[in-house]
Amino acid sequence: MSHSDTIPLHPSSQSDIDEIENLINSYPSSVLPARPPSPPRAFIPISSNPPPPPSFIPSNLPPPSIPKPTPLLSSAPSVTSAAPPKPPVPPPRGSTSTSGIAGSGFGSAPNTLTEPVWDTVKRDLSRIVSNLKLVVFPNPFREDPGKALRDWDLWGPFFFIVFLGLILSWSASVKKSEVFAVAFALLAAGAVILTLNVLLLGGHIIFFQSLSLLGYCLFPLDIGALICMLKGNVIIKVVVVAFTLAWSSWAAYPFMSTAVNPRRKALALYPVLLMYVSVGFLIIAID
Amino acid sequence: MEESFSNPATSHFLGSVPAVVTEDKKTSSPEVPANLQIFPPNSQGYQTLVAPSDGGEQQPSNNWKGFFSISSYTQYFNVDTDIVLNRLISSLYPTSGDFVSKIDANPDLYGLVWISTTLVFVIASLGNCATYLMSRRSDPNTSWAFDVNYLNVAAGSIYGYALIVPLGYYFLLQYLGSNVSLVRFWCLWGYSLFIFILTSFLLIIPIEFIRWIIILIGGAASASFVGLNLRSYIQSNDLMIVAISAFVLQLGLSIFIKMWFFA
Repeated sequence: MSHSDTIPLHPSSQSDIDEIENLINSYPSSVLPARPPSPPRAFIPISSNPPPPPSFIPSNLPPPSIPKPTPLLSSAPSVTSAAPPKPPVPPPRGSTSTSGIAGSGFGSAPNTLTEPVWDTVKRDLSRIVSNLKLVVFPNPFREDPGKALRDWDLWGPFFFIVFLGLILSWSASVKKSEVFAVAFALLAAGAVILTLNVLLLGGHIIFFQSLSLLGYCLFPLDIGALICMLKGNVIIKVVVVAFTLAWSSWAAYPFMSTAVNPRRKALALYPVLLMYVSVGFLIIAID
Repeated sequence: MEESFSNPATSHFLGSVPAVVTEDKKTSSPEVPANLQIFPPNSQGYQTLVAPSDGGEQQPSNNWKGFFSISSYTQYFNVDTDIVLNRLISSLYPTSGDFVSKIDANPDLYGLVWISTTLVFVIASLGNCATYLMSRRSDPNTSWAFDVNYLNVAAGSIYGYALIVPLGYYFLLQYLGSNVSLVRFWCLWGYSLFIFILTSFLLIIPIEFIRWIIILIGGAASASFVGLNLRSYIQSNDLMIVAISAFVLQLGLSIFIKMWFFA
């Protein structure tokens, strides 16, 4: 996990939307909008209730204990008695004691929505690196190899697949674009088909987590392809590819084998081996 | 009151479907009280559907939950490693036509998918190797050039053959009257391709004469496997022509593999 965020993340992994919602619920402060807010479209008068939480969908959230709303489209009159009588200009949205529920903003979510792009990129990159360390590198402290990648993402696999396709395409002397197309299609479709294979054999995996894991296990083959592109000797290529192939298979083995019934382990693992061998063969053969 | 359910006076309402209760049913069993546990309530028809559990037994292995649901396809992948290995080994015996009886209870599509995929990869890669070796015999200075087109042609031809030929035979045999099952056909043709994987490894030998011998033996074995099993599945002698045509098609595939990939 990244430790450079300004607000500490919840210890378990979450998607961005969950993170935003938790931040809103835990930090009920509010943010001044960048522009003067538009006049509220609907007012539900509240007397002395606690302020409603700011919502994403303003029209959906009347506080449960208010009386019937007075006629809409009025900008001021029948507003809360808690707030002072409003001038025609709508009250500043800075306080959540207003009962207007139109356009109240996101609370404290802009911490991830308005953060600099570099922060977002850095956070994603660090997640990729941590996932890589978890999956691919030998880690004796890995708590359960079968449950790798709780915090899966698809950026890492995307980079690795495209990188491998590019390397193969660069190394090819003829039909470069066809080589890239074949490599990309083989890897992407192969990951999907391998996941489907496990599901069809009655195994239990999460679809995207498996895609993510198979993509991360391509990392050793990426390195192998890079070395093969730089050194052209066939013997070296064979040795390097064999080594990285074994490494990739070793990384993918625990996850795949724990996902299915032990009597069908070989049925689930064979296609993984087939895909990596075919990619390895492509790396050796393309020059 | 119950009589009115069987012959309601509502048939004249717009859009109502008149109750189908004929007079003879009423006269044949006039003493049967209208029992709302069975349908139609007043007759003794449809008795077989009394208990809902019986309905499930009529088609024992078909729990089709829809085209896009994975769980409706898992019934075709319900095999273990040893079963698959057993079927692979028995596909190498061309003369015993008992493969269909082995797969009858539990046909699987795992063999079809992964044997054909392996075959695509094997003939594309070994075909490249073999072509290189052959051209090096005639001209020692040729350099290795990996032709990616081999993969495209291999994928198209093998997947096309393995999917479309059983489908064609299924429709043909349904048209001719016998009641066959498409999944078993796919399973049969899928396992019949296994022998080509083994012969592809032998086809790297760069001597043309030996290559032809190997491919003819392998093709004949696979073709007779398909033909004999098809004949024992159809079990009617006037459809012999179907089995012979399957034999010929499989031989044709083997010759195509030899000529395109291992030239």
